[in-house]
Amino acid sequence: MIDKRLLRLSGTKKALLMLAGLTILQAFMILFQGKFLAQAIVNSWRLKALAWLYWPMLFFFSALLGRHLLNWLKNHVLDKFASQASATLRQQLLTKLFHLGPSLVAKQGTGNMVTMALEGIDQVENYMTLILNKMLNMMIIPWILLVYIFTLDRRSGWILLVVVPIVIMFMIILGFAARDKADQQYAGYQQLANHFVDALRGLATLKLLGISDQYADNVYQVSEAYRKKTMGVLRIAVLSTFALDFFTTLSIAIVAVFLGLALLNGQMALFPALATLILAPEFFQPLRDFSSDYHATLNGKNALQAVFAILELPQPQQRQALTAAPTWQANSQLTFTNVNVSYPGSNEADLAAVSFSVQGYHKIGIIGESGSGKSTLINTLGGFLQPQQGEIKVNDQVVPHLSQEQWQQNFVYLPQKPYLFHMSIAANIAFYQPDAAPAAIEKAASQAGLDDWLATLPAGLDTIIGEGARGVSGGQGQRIALARAFLDSQRRILLLDEPTAHLDIETEAALKETMMPLFDDHLVFFATHRLHWMQQMDYVFVIQQGRLVEQGTPAQLQKQQGAYVSLMTQMRGEPL
Amino acid sequence: MKQLKHDTWVKPYMTKYKGLLTLILVLGLITFICGGALMFTSGYLISKAATKPENILLIYVPVVLVRAFGIARPTFRYLERLTSHNWVLKVTSDLRKRLYKTLAKDAAFFQQHFKTGAILGILADDLGHLQNLYLRTIFPTLISWLLYVLIVIALGFFNWFFALAIALLLAVIIFLLPLVSVAVLGARVERRKQLRHDLYTDMTDDVLGLSDWVISARQTDFLARPQPTLKAARANTLQTRRFEWRRDFLIQLLFGVIILVLMVWTNQQFTANQGLANWIAAFVLCLFPLVDAFAPVSQGVEEWPLYMTSVKRLNNLQPAVRTLPQQQTLTAPVASLDFQQVDFKYATAQALILQQFDLHITAGEKLAILGPSGTGKTTLLDLLLGELTPQAGQVTLNHIPIAALQQQRAQLIGMLDQKPFLFNTTVLNNIRLGNLQASDEAIMAALRAVELGPLMARLPAGANTVVEEAGARFSGGEQQRLALARVLIQDAPIILLDEPTVGLDPITEKALLNTIFKVLADKTVIWVTHHLQGIEHADQVIFLEQGQIAMQGTPHELYQTNARFRKLYQLDQGLV
Repeated sequence: MIDKRLLRLSGTKKALLMLAGLTILQAFMILFQGKFLAQAIVNSWRLKALAWLYWPMLFFFSALLGRHLLNWLKNHVLDKFASQASATLRQQLLTKLFHLGPSLVAKQGTGNMVTMALEGIDQVENYMTLILNKMLNMMIIPWILLVYIFTLDRRSGWILLVVVPIVIMFMIILGFAARDKADQQYAGYQQLANHFVDALRGLATLKLLGISDQYADNVYQVSEAYRKKTMGVLRIAVLSTFALDFFTTLSIAIVAVFLGLALLNGQMALFPALATLILAPEFFQPLRDFSSDYHATLNGKNALQAVFAILELPQPQQRQALTAAPTWQANSQLTFTNVNVSYPGSNEADLAAVSFSVQGYHKIGIIGESGSGKSTLINTLGGFLQPQQGEIKVNDQVVPHLSQEQWQQNFVYLPQKPYLFHMSIAANIAFYQPDAAPAAIEKAASQAGLDDWLATLPAGLDTIIGEGARGVSGGQGQRIALARAFLDSQRRILLLDEPTAHLDIETEAALKETMMPLFDDHLVFFATHRLHWMQQMDYVFVIQQGRLVEQGTPAQLQKQQGAYVSLMTQMRGEPL
Repeated sequence: MKQLKHDTWVKPYMTKYKGLLTLILVLGLITFICGGALMFTSGYLISKAATKPENILLIYVPVVLVRAFGIARPTFRYLERLTSHNWVLKVTSDLRKRLYKTLAKDAAFFQQHFKTGAILGILADDLGHLQNLYLRTIFPTLISWLLYVLIVIALGFFNWFFALAIALLLAVIIFLLPLVSVAVLGARVERRKQLRHDLYTDMTDDVLGLSDWVISARQTDFLARPQPTLKAARANTLQTRRFEWRRDFLIQLLFGVIILVLMVWTNQQFTANQGLANWIAAFVLCLFPLVDAFAPVSQGVEEWPLYMTSVKRLNNLQPAVRTLPQQQTLTAPVASLDFQQVDFKYATAQALILQQFDLHITAGEKLAILGPSGTGKTTLLDLLLGELTPQAGQVTLNHIPIAALQQQRAQLIGMLDQKPFLFNTTVLNNIRLGNLQASDEAIMAALRAVELGPLMARLPAGANTVVEEAGARFSGGEQQRLALARVLIQDAPIILLDEPTVGLDPITEKALLNTIFKVLADKTVIWVTHHLQGIEHADQVIFLEQGQIAMQGTPHELYQTNARFRKLYQLDQGLV
């Protein structure tokens, strides 16, 4: 019913205690409201003058007022707690995200993570607001009322008490039946549910195929099929609400009839009978409220579980272990010995027994078929993935992984499509160094070959970009990312993961002109499919199925006539 | 309200299934009447029984009625819920077909929304919002109004003055407060949307830019980035909730007042003798179940501005219908394709994309089009399809303007683009879209031709395997092959290729190009490409630059005579 971990959040217990106190008060208000209403009606029934009603009416109205004032207060308390708890949870989630890094995002999907941090947490907040209140109401209000009803009329008390487990049992049975029915149809059902969006997205294709007009009828028919299936599930799903409704309403009717009979036989007076009748619906109300919002809270419950699942993931420890490499220098050294990295969920091969050693500034090309593990290697070098086995040494200091704060100050990372933030171009360039002087940013932009483009923008470097990089072409995006490297001369390592894969050959050639000067005095790891880059590399790693099968200078590898040569030939295609 | 004046997306459907709609309202009304009647008869029953009538038969009728209403209420509620969902889903089917047809008619759609799926998702969601508009706002409000009229008329029979008092009090609840809610919260809906959008941007910056945040070690900035927007959103929500709490309290207060009025009135009206006094409890108690009909109206109506945004967006969909010339039928085989002195620019742009552009393509030719991005390679294909109309000159097929062949287009031109769209259905169904009459054997032959035979044999369900959303079950290269099979089944003599290998690794790319040109050997192929891999397949290469052809010739000629081509070719081959 409720996730135990929810109770462990800070503030939950305090809020629960406060709410419980208010709810007990509220239960008595409801009790008084019914009691004095019955009193007033009985007085009228005894044909008394209006003056006899004044006091019961005043008490009734005060109780009603108190009941709803308490509701207001409870809402306030709950809202404050839920918003604070969800804000904390969101902050924890973001912190976790930061520590786990991009490999988590890659595994979860970016859309998923954004949705979780926004809507997911909102749903959690909604869940906490609903579930805590309704659960407490259900646990407190009916029972206080029931005790009072027992003092009024024992038989009615028993009727109400017996109905509760029956209702709950039926709701559970019907709930399962509805789920089974939904499960049976699930696969086809999802397909039908998404068919419409699918048809809209494929509209251009349908037009090309010349069947866009005919397809309109298909859209209608599938939607109708979906309606019929949905109604099939609903007939059973709504039945559980029906059961609740049926048993509670019927038990009120039964109570009324028994009360009538008892009165007829002179076994009781009108006041206790009327008070019982008035309080019987109030007895069931919390249960109804709980069930009506139950489905609404399911999303929140699932979102909460997803958030907790991420918060419980292990995160890299010892991120400050590295102290031996404040900056990468000509005599700095990096050594991998038998390093194994697995990356579950990606379609890349796991790295197995990777060993190499580099010193100072080199240009290392990494080639291999797609899925061979090039990106896994780059991600390990960047510290985004941590090895399961093997030894990594930086300047003779052994570290468990490269997710080291000091190491990450040393490199610039250029993926296939660098992310551009919704900020000015200048802020994007200065992302690694927010305090950089404007003149330095301008110089870096110029070195990255952005001048021509910037000249066409009215606001120049202050132009706001981002939000899906509107108006920024692939080549320009790469240049902005390159400018970061030009700006920060402390970062002497470049990690490049197919930065030109989606560019046309001329744009790539122009970009290459800009990049080459940067490669001097840097340690470069460059994973690519584009063969011409190998001409500029002074060392090459050839990766096949997660293994570093060959390494050496291009000339050495050319001579070996091994994996390097055969891969180059395969990729090159037929000569003209 | 003003949005509804010229509305064609909500109002017409209210009358379309009039019978069913009436049924929903009647069922909803009866549900509440039964709820009230149960308490009414119960109140009367025990009051009457308390007078200890000699004969049990005197309370026999109320006893039966109590049971009947006890059973009828949940039953009618069940039926009402099913009927209203059924009605809404029926209307949804109509709306989906209509939205689809509207978009399919729109000539601009193909151009603008070709690549952005976001707007389509928004429109599909809008239809979902309309469902809620009916279920949560329109139906409950209409039912409460009907009930209101009935109650006021019924009370009018007893006492017009009293009926007027109750009418006024209830009017505050079901007319005044909902209007106030819309007025107060309407402005906040806009603000909420803006804040959500900002939050989405902030979160996307955090999640998609995560590797840069980690590398730059800017954890504090990373956490701080969404905070101002989150705070603003929280403040906005809190204001909304505070208003709702106050309003809901006021509603309950008004119900309290109504009950007081009822008690005073019954005390005056029914205390002439004991027989009359038995009705007092009946009148007072029957009000309580009716609270459920009136109290939620404000909440439902409060969402009105949210729904109106969707209604407005749908009503604003005005398809730009193009006027095409008198359609002709081409019976002779395709002989030539020509651009004659074509000028083209986009409506909003200043510069001409194509200028005095001439191009002659003979049947069976394989033409490759190269050029930097943004030079209009794709525009050229859209002109060939007749999706765009040139400002001057014309595009012809066998000397007939392509605009006059639009009805026959799917038989003449097929297309394979960067990311071909696969529908979420089986492989067989996807390919059959190319030709609805194609037999399973023909489809299997096409699959074998594009070298997917072994893959189909490996799949557990073979060609009956579902491709999943956007073809997710298959790799990029396989998706292209599936789309190629669809193009083969379509069997058009002219095939347009719009960078079909972008994003594929060179080995996959080479294999795919080999297959493409093998199966399209006897067709006219116009191939837009961004680099020179596989260029040997082309008979003729043109380079587009500034709206003109910058170089043209066979790949061999260009390699021999053109230094620029040679340089790019060598780059692509990794030779320099």
